[in-house]
Amino acid sequence: MRILDIIGMSFKSLWRRKVRTLLTVLGVVIGSCAIVVMISLGLGMDNAMKYYLTQFGDLNVITVYGNVWTDGQTEPMKITEENVEYIKTIENVEGIFPKLAINSEMVSVCAGRGERYRRMYGEIYGVYPEYLEKFGYKFKEGEVPEIFSQNFIIFGEQSAYNFFDTKKKRNNTTYPQEQEDGTMSDPFFNPMEEQILVYVNNTNKFVEDNMWGHYESAGKAYEHKMTCVGILDAENSGGNWEAFDGLFVSMDFADELYDSYVKANKIKDAKPPEISELKIYVNDINNVATVQEQIEAMGYYCDSMESARQSMQGQLGSLEAMLGGLAAISLFVAAIGITNTMIMSIYERTREIGVMKVLGCKIKNIREMFLIEAACIGFVGGIAGVLLSFIISFIFNKFGSSMLGLDYMYQLNDGTTLPISLIPFWLVIVALLFSTFVGIASGFYPANRAVKISALEAIKNE
Amino acid sequence: MSFIEVDNLRKVYRIGNEKVIALDSISLNIEKGEICCILGTSGSGKSTFLNMLAGLEKATKGTVKINGREVTSMTEKELAEFRQETTGFIFQSYNLLASMNAVENVAMPLMFKGVHPLIRNNRAKKMLRAVGLEKRLYHKPTQMSGGQQQRVGIARALISKPPVVFADEPTGNLDTKTTAEVMEIVVRMCRKHNLTLILVTHDNDIAKYADRIVHIVDGKIESDYPNVSIVPPEEKKLTETERILENLNKINDTEENENENQ
Repeated sequence: MRILDIIGMSFKSLWRRKVRTLLTVLGVVIGSCAIVVMISLGLGMDNAMKYYLTQFGDLNVITVYGNVWTDGQTEPMKITEENVEYIKTIENVEGIFPKLAINSEMVSVCAGRGERYRRMYGEIYGVYPEYLEKFGYKFKEGEVPEIFSQNFIIFGEQSAYNFFDTKKKRNNTTYPQEQEDGTMSDPFFNPMEEQILVYVNNTNKFVEDNMWGHYESAGKAYEHKMTCVGILDAENSGGNWEAFDGLFVSMDFADELYDSYVKANKIKDAKPPEISELKIYVNDINNVATVQEQIEAMGYYCDSMESARQSMQGQLGSLEAMLGGLAAISLFVAAIGITNTMIMSIYERTREIGVMKVLGCKIKNIREMFLIEAACIGFVGGIAGVLLSFIISFIFNKFGSSMLGLDYMYQLNDGTTLPISLIPFWLVIVALLFSTFVGIASGFYPANRAVKISALEAIKNE
Repeated sequence: MSFIEVDNLRKVYRIGNEKVIALDSISLNIEKGEICCILGTSGSGKSTFLNMLAGLEKATKGTVKINGREVTSMTEKELAEFRQETTGFIFQSYNLLASMNAVENVAMPLMFKGVHPLIRNNRAKKMLRAVGLEKRLYHKPTQMSGGQQQRVGIARALISKPPVVFADEPTGNLDTKTTAEVMEIVVRMCRKHNLTLILVTHDNDIAKYADRIVHIVDGKIESDYPNVSIVPPEEKKLTETERILENLNKINDTEENENENQ
């Protein structure tokens, strides 16, 4: 028998009992819709949770701290370049971001004509600038150039406020302050427009000529003129606090600054520069835990959003399972409905099935007809269920958070709302496949019954 | 070797602890193209006999061979194929599918064979014309009279030109006038295509359409003789030859027709 004929026969018999078919389909609609909506609510919660966690830091990132006493007994581990190289080779590590801190005691930073503005405090960080964006740093102005030369420097959002004016005796410092018109007060200069001068200190003296004081160097060893290529956006840099007032240069340049400081001040048995912090980007959230374990096994103290994520995920998981279970019950009821309808229809069609057998219809084809009928009920119910879920999901997203009093969870500060219910494309496909599968599964027993009907039924005369 | 060979066929039903012998060791040979009437009162076992010939019921003992193939030992799957290829069935209560119109009902055996809808519907229309229902092609069974429905049933049974056609009280639900019409059509068409017709009835008037009448009483063959009422023995040979000649012509005709269609 041609497959189109089998489908045609199935449709015909479904169509013959329109109301009954419709009611059975309705059961599947409710069941599949319940499942899709419940899962979409779970996905919405998941999404909100991830959103909040990323406010505190990237979920894919592990931070390794050097020089931390982990258990109070063993000597704290330092992050050496050797270990950085090793960590780079750990499976699932996609990128690493070491940070070499050079403090203001070693290096001075000036800006403006005649070195008018001088930095009071704060560190310079040697980093791999090409990885800044991967590790969550966002730019307010400028960007990371393709080739990052030693002359380039990147300012934190408020780094320019750390400079004081050497020409003034009073009011020579500034800080970000909201003005009457709502805008922020400007620093003394715009780093993007001024030349920045960096030099290594040579025999320091601490001078208190402003409200913070600063290190005054007797001489300038290793002087370097630099251009600011970008200013970071601290608030959106995902918990990277150095984006506020740090200065970023290339790792090579930071190494050089360190070396010249050691040389200029004739420091004996100088240790190699120490990486204060190493960030590791893991390719997938689900691999974070294993990578973190491997690094902790090396003796380092690590930190990531993983533990927070896991405990939240665990709680959400059980809530989602409960919702899904409730929904599954309604689909199960629908499945019983399909089986019931099919058995009824077989009772009615006993004679017809007998006739078909006598006329030479193959058993296989009879089974297929009934399975296709059941699958159709499931599939059509699935489609309608998914459409209905989209409507319900839309209503939830539009009115749900205030209706259910969940504003605190889904409403963001800027007035936008996170979706309460999320229906990704895969969920649509899964729902359709699942409802069809439920249809076929519940049609299995009736189909076998139909197959067993004797051809003799056709002969019986009522 | 005959076309249909029934050898020592026995059927015993078990009702509680009691055994009821429905068929008691029946042996019978039927030739190709023969129109054979199985005549008997109700409860004589004639319907059981037909069911076993068509492979609808399992025999307790004995064998049925049709065209050299043993029907009694076939599996369900083999039976389905056997029915597609070899048999047609005309029911007492027509058994047309209510959801289908006449053309679709007639085309159904071809659908089970996997014939393309255009081809099978064309052939179904031709069959319906042959039984005189050209004006009822798209009527549903409920919109037709009993005689018309049975003519659709006949068209359905004969559409794939099966070598054997079984008819189980084909006129049992019809009045006398319609009975005659329907019987004429069946017999004429079977003769035209040289099909073997096994006709089960309790009605002596129907039996007169057959070449041969087998009378079954209490599960046994009581008598088995050629039907003298329509063909006198001395003339039979002549008409047989005529019939064969006529059939040859008809077969050529239909083959030509079918070639045209394809």
